[in-house]
Amino acid sequence: MRNLVDLLVWICRFGTCAAFLGIIYAVVVQIMGRTAIFRYSPVFTEELTRFCLLWMVAFAAGLSLRSGDLINVDFVSSALPRRMSKMLRLVCAAIIVLLCAMLLEPAWLFMMIGRGQTSSAMGWRMDLFNMSIAVLLTTLMVFAMIQFASILREPKDSGPAESEVSESD
Amino acid sequence: MELLLLGASFVVGLIIGLPVAVTLGVSSLLYILVAGLPLAVIPQKMYAGIDSFVLLSIPGFILAGNLMNHGGITVRIVRFANAIVGWLRGGLGLSNIAASMLFGGISGTAVADAAAIGGVMIPGMKKAGYPADFSAAVTAASATVGPIIPPSVPMIIVGALSGVSVGRMFVAGAVPGVFLGLAMMVTAYIIARRRQFPRQPWQGLRELIASFVGAFWAIFMTAIVIVGLLSGVMTPTETAVAASIYAFFVGTVVFRDLPIRRVIPILVESAVSSGAILILVGFANVFAWILVTEHIPNMIASYVLSVTDNRYVVLLLINVVLIFIGMFMETIAALIIMFVPLLTLAQGIGVEPIHFAVIVVLNLMIGLTTPPVGVCLFICANIARRPLQSVVVAILPFVATNIVVLLLVTYVPAISMWLPGLLYD
Repeated sequence: MRNLVDLLVWICRFGTCAAFLGIIYAVVVQIMGRTAIFRYSPVFTEELTRFCLLWMVAFAAGLSLRSGDLINVDFVSSALPRRMSKMLRLVCAAIIVLLCAMLLEPAWLFMMIGRGQTSSAMGWRMDLFNMSIAVLLTTLMVFAMIQFASILREPKDSGPAESEVSESD
Repeated sequence: MELLLLGASFVVGLIIGLPVAVTLGVSSLLYILVAGLPLAVIPQKMYAGIDSFVLLSIPGFILAGNLMNHGGITVRIVRFANAIVGWLRGGLGLSNIAASMLFGGISGTAVADAAAIGGVMIPGMKKAGYPADFSAAVTAASATVGPIIPPSVPMIIVGALSGVSVGRMFVAGAVPGVFLGLAMMVTAYIIARRRQFPRQPWQGLRELIASFVGAFWAIFMTAIVIVGLLSGVMTPTETAVAASIYAFFVGTVVFRDLPIRRVIPILVESAVSSGAILILVGFANVFAWILVTEHIPNMIASYVLSVTDNRYVVLLLINVVLIFIGMFMETIAALIIMFVPLLTLAQGIGVEPIHFAVIVVLNLMIGLTTPPVGVCLFICANIARRPLQSVVVAILPFVATNIVVLLLVTYVPAISMWLPGLLYD
């Protein structure tokens, strides 16, 4: 189980990093293209940057839940007794799973809408762009399930695991 | 009925501790289900929210700040700030604020500022004999200057929401940011004199020059951002990436404090932080769409203007509402939900959108230093290892200063509009 989680984290980190490097590459090409040396501004850069941004967010979604970057307001749950607080955190993780599960089919439909379309500059299929939302919801759902399982496994007297502590902690 | 469900589920979600982004998603989902609308609206609106050219600059600015921080710039900024004002009574408190103003020119977020400056300054101040509560309070308060001095992540969000020029907003924030920093210095100095905080000896002109050389690289990055945007040579996204490349160069080649093997983890860390903001933007875009569909902005504007159309009273009301919201809601979420409705109202009384953007960001920064959701307050109390309550008491004079500056910026538009007028018109 732990190996599987590590693999998921690695895949998401790799995807996030690759997409961010893609943004940097496209913007650097854009800037260099305007200089006197190159004098060539390729038309694809803006579209590629937006494509990479969408995929960067998709891969980062689950990681941001895991790292606590996806911030919450926890002044109520932290004031409750441990047992109640644990219950509340379980409920929150379950709600995230439920929300993402309910939105997966609409996100799939949204992806299919883009099947017959292509992007204007790069000519890439738009379903590749639209798919990012389905992947975002999937990574968020999977990491919420992992969070749910890890809260269940917590010993009775312990607080949240470090990876799940929100920024407001 | 649908609107009641939207509001109630949002409040309940926040209270039980759901991430703010998810709370917005759940509330929108419930509204759409009850209203009988197709669920496909949600992914569509999320996509439209994230797929914004202006938002592309956020990862770049966050990466630039993180690279600079890991590249050893924080210590150099603190040293320079210390050389300038450290010799005054309570000098380390003043240095803390000056360092935040300099760091604000590279990070763009108050949370990054509080963590970076706090990590260096709070232990240093405690060691020098300053009370831990004051050390945490002055760090948390001064961190709010960061997103007002350019670059500013909240202002990029405003640009994406309203189409207002990000470059002009950045420039409009410069004078209020410096003004706020100076006002906080005065407050810290008064407290220091009353409580007889320690002072350091003047370290001489040589130290001032030597420390400036180290901090110069941070100041130059702010110059890249401002000149890049003002000259029109670069878009905000290009400026952000140029700043990141510059930060990488300074950290690895100039300071040599940034090992190459650390760059990829920093890149991922920055992408995850940016991703969290953009997921919030995505879900909040659905929520904001519902508000616009229900004509909430116009309803608010019509209602308030039917009660009073006095510019001063309406602006005061807006400030009170924003301070209250900022106390309970995360900055970006509050911006996305409240900016457009309140902009409609502000424009109804003739307030310029750029001026209004500065007012809103200043307001929401106050919320970062007030309980129960004051993120900067939590970070600094944690670093100082002090209970939150005692830091809350210590921060009150700074919150009062913030409010005075906010009122001045609100009622004297020239404070924010003078510089953009000078440079652009």
